[in-house]
Amino acid sequence: MKKATLFALKEDRDALLLELQKNGDLMLISDGEKNPLEGAAEISDQLQQTKEVLKFVDLHAPKKSLFSAKPTVAYDRFLKEIQEGEKLTKQLSELSERISTKRNEAATMLAQVAALDAWTDMDIPLEDLQPTENTTYFAGYMEDAQVPVFKEDIASLNAEVISFKEAPEGRALLIFAHKDSVAQVKHFLKAHDFLDMVFPKRTGLVKEIAVDLTKAAQQKNTVADDLEVEAKTLSGRQGELELYYDQLATKEERMAQGGAETDKTFYLEGWCRADRTGAIEKAVASVTDAYELTFLDPAEGEIPPSVMENNALVRPYESVVELYSRPLPGTMDPNLFMAPFHFIFFGMMLSDAGYGLVLTVALYILMKVLKPKDFVGKLTMVVLLGSISTIIWGAAFGGWFGLEWKPLLFVPMKEPLKMLALCFGLGGLHLIVGICLKLYSDLKSGNVIGAIADEASWLIIFAGLAMMAVLPGEIGKWTALFGAAIIVLFGGREKKGIFSRLMSGVLSLYNISGYLSDLLSYSRLFALGLATGVIAMVINTIAGMLAGAGPVGIAAAVVVLVGGHIFNIIINILGAFVHSSRLQYIEFFGKFFQTGGRAFVPLALRTKYTDVTN
Amino acid sequence: MLSLGTALAFFGAAIAAGLAGIGSAMGVGIAGQAASGVVSEDPDKFGSVLVLQALPGTQGIYGLLIAFIIVLNIGAIDGNIKDLTLFQGLSLLAAGIPIGIGGLMSGIYQGKVAASGIYLTAKRPEEVGKGIILTAMVETYAVLSLLISFIMVNGVKF
Repeated sequence: MKKATLFALKEDRDALLLELQKNGDLMLISDGEKNPLEGAAEISDQLQQTKEVLKFVDLHAPKKSLFSAKPTVAYDRFLKEIQEGEKLTKQLSELSERISTKRNEAATMLAQVAALDAWTDMDIPLEDLQPTENTTYFAGYMEDAQVPVFKEDIASLNAEVISFKEAPEGRALLIFAHKDSVAQVKHFLKAHDFLDMVFPKRTGLVKEIAVDLTKAAQQKNTVADDLEVEAKTLSGRQGELELYYDQLATKEERMAQGGAETDKTFYLEGWCRADRTGAIEKAVASVTDAYELTFLDPAEGEIPPSVMENNALVRPYESVVELYSRPLPGTMDPNLFMAPFHFIFFGMMLSDAGYGLVLTVALYILMKVLKPKDFVGKLTMVVLLGSISTIIWGAAFGGWFGLEWKPLLFVPMKEPLKMLALCFGLGGLHLIVGICLKLYSDLKSGNVIGAIADEASWLIIFAGLAMMAVLPGEIGKWTALFGAAIIVLFGGREKKGIFSRLMSGVLSLYNISGYLSDLLSYSRLFALGLATGVIAMVINTIAGMLAGAGPVGIAAAVVVLVGGHIFNIIINILGAFVHSSRLQYIEFFGKFFQTGGRAFVPLALRTKYTDVTN
Repeated sequence: MLSLGTALAFFGAAIAAGLAGIGSAMGVGIAGQAASGVVSEDPDKFGSVLVLQALPGTQGIYGLLIAFIIVLNIGAIDGNIKDLTLFQGLSLLAAGIPIGIGGLMSGIYQGKVAASGIYLTAKRPEEVGKGIILTAMVETYAVLSLLISFIMVNGVKF
């Protein structure tokens, strides 16, 4: 990584940023606060609005097929901001607002109609329902069971009760009271939990009002329906909107950083890969010759972002590392060593050659048609490679869609101990490679004692233990003891005093239990392979039973076979990927990997809906 | 008539499939509740939370697997049921217990971790991978239970 600093004229700034974005090699950095260019806030607002509109359009536009690739747009066309997009956004945004207003109004009206429902029998027009000189009225609801009691309570008073239909709130009651009795009526109303009803400010009979309101609500809804149709037509132009969104999004990113500036010039800083400085220089020079561009090594204490660089076969596995954490800049990239093991483990866990074949073909077509990019593309590629490994392991174990056919090695279900030995063997190799990598990085950084005491000693112990199993005589035992002696002597080298140093050394020997549990963890290779195989067998058995039951049974058997195997494939891809990744993260990376890198996110054309081509 | 040994073997299969199935059902249920909450806020996250919800589902599969092998071994699938001795039956019953209980408990806890992973995805969608890995850590113990159950079933000779 190099740190690029660029001085240039302010008048060239827009063109320079555009060119750098197209070039995609420079990650801009800001000292402290960002300094967005003028107009960036408006672009952000516009972007937000377009996002909302796209959500709205999504509800109305015809469903996109799952397997449609992104449309491609030539770079020159991408730069031309289409006025149509802006107009369309505005139009649709207004439309969406109008629709929701109309719908809300209609809903409010219908709610009023519902509230009036219990009162439709009332033959007093609302405008006449007024307190007079001598009487007051109360309108509201009371629980049905309370009504007779209430009537009895006020029987002696100068009041009259008219009851209407029952509503969810209770029986609708209209009570007239003479002014002498008002206080007592109020008291009884309160005692019986009377709920006041507020009539809408309208004139006429309740029955008629309800009809009017329903009609009005219908009208509003019809208007909204018409608007929706209009929205649907406009939603057909989703593509233009999406292009507009991408244009805005890239523009927003471009304008997010203006750098420091003077009256006439501006200044930008950024990270770039050491091997891409030429491309940046070229990009800048193509815009203007009034610039000053320098590339410096990172200063002490500065942590540049990290980039992983691998050959085409290993590159997909960068996604597995990215899921965990990026390597610290300047430390080892684990991909080269991790990839073969991930490949092997994935295949062992899926371990059905038939599934492997289906997956390989399906994923190959998917890669060709959809052309997923970046992270998703890498991840798909990891699974595709894993499917190839699945074919190999499936053939080795004789698993073809849950049926046994000519195993090249042996059948794990029949010889579980052999299979476990294979798992632990591969696991041991994986762990040893991990320890060796740590040994290498220790030696490289000059930590020779650490390399001997913490890594070589364990390798000697493991070699000794292996020899004990294979070679006759006591040579294995003594080798292992020699390794253990190194650990006891040097394991506690940071401690002062001979006694505490030896104690701490002996305690370091206890790490053997850690290695043991790491090793046992590889038994999952067997268990997950077993899960795939036996579930496939279950599916076949059920289908076999169904097939015996006549033509309907055969049809059902086909459904069970196809559906069952697809389900089994999907659930086991998930398992195989997660668990082979986990074996890398916990058992392998734990030995040597230094995390803490930042992602390198250069200023580039990052589009969501379209692919920009040159 | 079935012998007591054969009946005990069925009991072992029932424990394996039943308890592990309960574990998965509870785990997937817990995760599913969290997932619906997140999807109600942001339907686009459906794909990633679905993966997390599916993770505690494997215990049920492991339980079914052991139950199937037990039932297969005693000949209940092809219709020629063997008469097992009491000790063969007891051994198969014992073989069903590890994945039964291990699957039950690990399923529930994996579901809880999956639910937290789903909340993590809601706040930081880019970290869904870490949520998945944390959830898969719990599964290790279901895998170990499965393995020992399988070895035990395999060890019973007729």
